Amino acid sequence: MPDLAIQTQGLRKEFRTRRGTRVAVADLDLAVPAGGVHGFLGPNGSGKTTTIRMLLGLARPTSGTMRLLGEPVPERLPAVVDRVGAVVESPKFSPNLTGRQNLLLLSRSIGVPDTRVDAVVETVGLSGRDRDRYKAYSLGMKQRLAIAATLLKEPDLLILDEPTNGLDPAGIREIRETIRGLGASGVTVLLSSHILAEVQQVCTSATIVGHGRLLASGTVEELLGGSTAYRLVVPDQAAAREALAAAGLTVGEEDGALRVETDDPVAVTRLLGARDIWLSELSPLRADLESFFLDLTAADQEATR
Amino acid sequence: MTSLVRVELTRLRWRRAVVLLLLACVVVPALIAAGTIWDTRPVSEAEIVEIQATAAPEIARCERRPRQYGVSPARAETRCAELVVEWQTSRQDLSLARERAGSGIGVAGALVVLLMLAATTFAGHDWNSGSMSNQLLFRPRRARVWAAKAVAVTGVALLTAVAVSTAYWLTLWGVMQARDLPVADGGLTASLGFGLRGAGLAAAAALGCYALTMLLRSTVATLGVVLAFGFATLVLGGSLPVSGQWEPLENIAAVLNDGTEYYVDIPPSCYDGRYAQGRAECDDTRELPLWRGATYYGGAVVLVGAASVLSFRRRDVP
Repeated sequence: MPDLAIQTQGLRKEFRTRRGTRVAVADLDLAVPAGGVHGFLGPNGSGKTTTIRMLLGLARPTSGTMRLLGEPVPERLPAVVDRVGAVVESPKFSPNLTGRQNLLLLSRSIGVPDTRVDAVVETVGLSGRDRDRYKAYSLGMKQRLAIAATLLKEPDLLILDEPTNGLDPAGIREIRETIRGLGASGVTVLLSSHILAEVQQVCTSATIVGHGRLLASGTVEELLGGSTAYRLVVPDQAAAREALAAAGLTVGEEDGALRVETDDPVAVTRLLGARDIWLSELSPLRADLESFFLDLTAADQEATR
Repeated sequence: MTSLVRVELTRLRWRRAVVLLLLACVVVPALIAAGTIWDTRPVSEAEIVEIQATAAPEIARCERRPRQYGVSPARAETRCAELVVEWQTSRQDLSLARERAGSGIGVAGALVVLLMLAATTFAGHDWNSGSMSNQLLFRPRRARVWAAKAVAVTGVALLTAVAVSTAYWLTLWGVMQARDLPVADGGLTASLGFGLRGAGLAAAAALGCYALTMLLRSTVATLGVVLAFGFATLVLGGSLPVSGQWEPLENIAAVLNDGTEYYVDIPPSCYDGRYAQGRAECDDTRELPLWRGATYYGGAVVLVGAASVLSFRRRDVP
C-alpha cells in the first residue's frame, strides 16, 4: 500500500460556459494519507465534487496528474477501480428496480457473488426493504443503498460525498460508526462533508478547499493547533490587559472576559500574580474546525473578491 | 466482456418498459397476422346463402340481362349468383406474394419502430436516472460498457425480429396449406428472406437508436431527431430534388425486397418514339440493389455509432 491513497498535482478543471471559461478546480495539490478517515471540506462550489469526479474517471481534468492507491488515473483506473468504492453526490440507481436488483447488477458487473449483496444489505441495515423498488425509498434508505454499493467491492479506499445526507439521527450515528470502523480497519476513507462537526468527530486528517484551491491540509490537531486561546476573568480587566500586552501577548475581549492567545497558561498566571492581579477564572477556549473553516474560507472569499 | 453483456441482458430483462415493448413486438404482428387471415378467409356457405338472399334482386337482374354483366347467357343461372357473391365479399385468397407488398411491410415497419423505441428507452433510462455514472464507477472502461450495451440491444432486437418475422410468414404459409391454396415455387423462401431482411433492418435501426441515445444522452432528444427524420422523409422527401437512389424509403424497399427500382427523369428527346428505342438514357427506371440499401443504412449506423463511442469515451458523465 503506498503512503498516499490519493494524490493530485496541479489538478485543474475548466468548464466552458456561454460567459467564458469557469475554473472549478485550480491547480489543486491534494495528498490523502493511506489509512484513517480524511475530511474533504469546502463551501458549495469549491470544487470538491468535481475533484472527486475527476479522481473516479467521470470527468476529464484540463491539466494535472492524479494517483489513486499509487496508480496514475485515469490511465490505470481499471486496475484500481475494484479497490475503490465511491458515492458521488446523490445516490443514483434505476428507480423502477428494487434495491437488491440494483446491487445485483453492480455486483455481477465485477464478478462478485450474489451472496455478497445479502451481506452488504445487512451491513447498512436495509434487510427486509431490499426488495422494495428504489423509487419508494426514503432519502436515508437511498444513502444506505449507495453505501452498500460501495461495500460490494471490499474496498481499500472509500470516497464518500455527503454520506449522511437525509439520514435520521440514529442513521447518522450508525453511518459515522461504520465510517470510523472502516477507517480503523485500515480502509482509507475520503469523507466530503459540509457538516464540520462530523468531520471533526470522525476524521483524523482533513483538507480544506475554496474556489478550487487548497486552503489548508493536515491532521485535525494540526489544523486546530494554530490558535490556542484562554478565557481569563479578573477583577481589574484594564490592568490585566495592560500587563499581558506589555509582555507581548495578544489580548482581546470575548463575552465580558479577556481572551489571551498563549500556549503557556502558567506564565500568564505568574505574570498577573506578580502584578497583584488575581485570577478568578482561566479556562482554555476550545478551537473548533467550524470557526477555523469559516475564518479560512472568509479570508479566501476576501482574497478572490 | 461476456459478463458485462450478461449484466446488460439482465438489466434489459428487468426494465419493464423494454419488456412491454418487446411484448408489443409479438402482439402487433400477431394482430396483423390475425387481421390478414381474417380478411382473406374463404367465403362460407352461410355467407353465400345470406348474400344470395339479400342480393336476390341483383342476381335476378343479371339472369335477365346476363350480357350486361359480362356473363354468357348459357352460364347465367350459376355464374350470376357467383359473380354477385364475389362482389359482395370482395375478398381475395391469401397470397404470400401479395402479403410481401402489404401486411409484410406493416410487420417489418412495426418491428422497426418498436425496437427503436425499446433501444432508446433502454439507453435513455441510464442517463435519465443518472445510474450511468454508478455503472462507470464499477466498470470504467467506457468503450467496453458501450459495446456490451450495444451487443445486448442489437442481439435482443435481432433475435426478437427474426423470431417474430419467421413466425409470421410460417403462420401465413400454414394457413394457406390448411386452405389448400397453391403456394408459388420459392414463395415461402422469398417470404422468409423478406422477413429476415426486415429483421436485419429492425436490428440495425435499434442499434442506431441506441447509439444516438448514448450520443444525445436523452430518450426525448433521440425520439425528436428520429421523428424529424421521419417527417422529412415522408413529407418533404418527394418534393426535394433528390435522386431516388438517395431517398430513405427507396432504400428501405431495396433492403426488404432484395433490390428495387426507382424512377429517373429522362431527356425530352426520349419522348419521340423514333429516337427513344434502344437508348439506355431513355429508360426511366434504375435498379437499386440490396447492397446499396444496406450500405445506405449501414453507413448511417456506423457514422452515428462512431460519433456515439467517441463522445461517450471523452465527455464528462453527469
